[in-house]
Amino acid sequence: MSKVETFSYDNKIVRDFGIATTIWGIVGMVVGLLAALQLIWPEFNITQYFTFGRIRPLHTNAVIFAFVGNGIYMGVYYSLQRLLKARMYSDLLSKIHFWGWQLIILSAALTLPLGITSASEYAELEWPIDIAIALVWIVFGLNMFGTILKRRENHLYVAIWFYIATWITVTVLHVVKNLEIPVSLFDSIPVFAGVQDALIQWWYGHNAVAFFLTTPYLGLMYYFLPKAANRPVYSYKLSIIHFWALIFIYIWAGPHHLLYTSLPDWAQSLGSVFSLMLIAPSWGGMLNGLLTLRGAWDRVRRDPILKFMVVAVTAYGMATLEGPLLSIKSINAISHYTDWTVGHVHVGTLGWNGMLTFGVLYWLWPRLYGTKLFSMKLANTHFWLGTLGTMFYTIPLYWAGWTQSLMWKKFTPDGFLAYGNFLETVTQIIPMYMVRTLGGTIYVVGVFIMAYNLWKTAQAGSIIENVEASAPAREKYVPHKGEHWHRWIERRPIQMLIGSAILVLIGGLVEIFPMIVIDENVPKIESVKPYTALELEGRDLYIKEGCIGCHSQMVRPFRSETERYGEFSKSGEFVYDRPFLWGSKRTGPDLHRVGGKYPHSWHYNHMLEPESMSPGSIMPPYPWMLDQDIDTTYTAAKVKVLRMLNTPYPRGYEERAVSDLQRQARKIAAELNEQGIEQENLENKEIVAMIAYLQRLGTDIKPKQFTEN
Amino acid sequence: MYKYILETAGNINWMALFALLTFFFVFSMSIYLAFVKSKEELNQVANLPLAEDDPIKNLQN
Repeated sequence: MSKVETFSYDNKIVRDFGIATTIWGIVGMVVGLLAALQLIWPEFNITQYFTFGRIRPLHTNAVIFAFVGNGIYMGVYYSLQRLLKARMYSDLLSKIHFWGWQLIILSAALTLPLGITSASEYAELEWPIDIAIALVWIVFGLNMFGTILKRRENHLYVAIWFYIATWITVTVLHVVKNLEIPVSLFDSIPVFAGVQDALIQWWYGHNAVAFFLTTPYLGLMYYFLPKAANRPVYSYKLSIIHFWALIFIYIWAGPHHLLYTSLPDWAQSLGSVFSLMLIAPSWGGMLNGLLTLRGAWDRVRRDPILKFMVVAVTAYGMATLEGPLLSIKSINAISHYTDWTVGHVHVGTLGWNGMLTFGVLYWLWPRLYGTKLFSMKLANTHFWLGTLGTMFYTIPLYWAGWTQSLMWKKFTPDGFLAYGNFLETVTQIIPMYMVRTLGGTIYVVGVFIMAYNLWKTAQAGSIIENVEASAPAREKYVPHKGEHWHRWIERRPIQMLIGSAILVLIGGLVEIFPMIVIDENVPKIESVKPYTALELEGRDLYIKEGCIGCHSQMVRPFRSETERYGEFSKSGEFVYDRPFLWGSKRTGPDLHRVGGKYPHSWHYNHMLEPESMSPGSIMPPYPWMLDQDIDTTYTAAKVKVLRMLNTPYPRGYEERAVSDLQRQARKIAAELNEQGIEQENLENKEIVAMIAYLQRLGTDIKPKQFTEN
Repeated sequence: MYKYILETAGNINWMALFALLTFFFVFSMSIYLAFVKSKEELNQVANLPLAEDDPIKNLQN
């Protein structure tokens, strides 16, 4: 018998992450509420720092990386110590991890409203913050693996497998996605362009959902649900199969975000097939969670913590059934670019991540403070507000998505688009947006109630920073003759899990490899040329203002789209697009063929006051573009980096880039003047760069007579 | 739509087969590993979250 050792668990770090997840959750959700209001009343776009385009990434980053991120760490730091019967490897690393992560969130909260963004969904933060994320993530990994190494428990419970898979996969995703060359402290250019950048983005984006919002939370489910129900998981065998099948299949599913785009069909089909296969492990996990409560359903009626967890696991099941269905091409043709996707995502975030986080917080808080929960009644109220809020949020968005998609695709008997004006399809769904905002408000009120309840609970007790525990030291394993070969692997759990995680990442590599091959095989379209210096600056303004949040640049090969927008998009048109800006949502119309569609003056007036050109529009006005000068400080550097990445600019173009920019700006300003726009120093203003970019969009393959006006 | 782009990128049909075989291998292995574990061991591991005494058991409503 080994000697019994005494040690203590670190509860303080768990409490700190718990407070952070609550505070950032409130911040992220209130910002989301502001974004929802902006889609009904554009007046809520207050100053250039809080327009929808800048607020949306702030909302998504806050809820994903701040709310869920801190929720992951809270749950991992509590469960890991207890499952391994060891204190965290280093208190110092725990502290660096906590404060480092909060600083990253703070820097995101500052830079995104300032328009400092890389435009890649869920990876918007610029390169210095990317490096900080990598460093803090490594600190987390060192702390976690250090704890695993000094553990007193031989077996690694399945929750820890999920934590390890999360760490390894997120590391790889973060590094590959953020391969970029800095232009300045706040700007960078991605290494991949066009169709390759698109595949890398959605390989990353999808797996950010898989390995940040799902696998760590499944680990939490496998620990906290048995704890709350006070019974072991229904089937441990099923949990093993759930783990391996899920992490292996998930990594392949990313291309389902790019169906009907210029991505090769092979990659699209791969994404669809693996997405459908995902139903099996996902539902295996959901059923394993729900069946854990067999014989305890009477407690679910009484215990709000179990109620939160049951709704969370059910929402996980619903979202993971819906996701694969949305990956079927014929369904995706209807759902993509609409609010259906937004509704789907929120079943996952509000239902799965939100409700599980709340359940864990309610379970943890009394234990961290050694007291009873302040009010079960308030927790029950929160549960109902959370559930109703989720439903009031998602159902109107499903309705909005179907309505808008059907309107986009409807033709008159004569063969014309029934709703030729895109705006008609927007104003039609505003009432649904209003109900969605009501749903969001209900949900946020619930979170405020939870914060009050937790605060009062903390006041009633006092934090137990260190919990004394004792356990026998880990016995050294003595191998015996004739044992199964897999025993050898299981004695080395870390090697086994790292090796296995690398094995499953083969999925990602096999998907990306063809794209690298394609680099040499994307059909070069002779007429597609690099952007001029002025267009580049205009493109960067498009990125800065977050136009990608509402406008796609990808005309799919459907008659309803080619009738509305023009020729469908070709992969060869994007070879100089760094980053690609295909977008994933059409709150406004697609812009890939907007070049030459309207005169310069239309764009000028539209950016100044969208409603003057499109009455009823919900687009924010951008009057500051008429006042602010084009920043040419880094124009030459941008050209230089782009040429380094094989964009065929003429030799020495960087040296004359600014003068070329000024020449083109003067030309556009003169044309604006001819069209009746009078403004002093117009050629220096941002609006001119924006017009240059918009007028260039999609014109490279248009016959000349349509562009020369 | 550049449908046949990969046909010009060399023979990559092995990739689809490779994906299927790798998945089959991983899936089969996970089932095998799950079923060769002894019942005792599975029970022991499944009960790990419950091994620790609940510090506030007596305070529960």
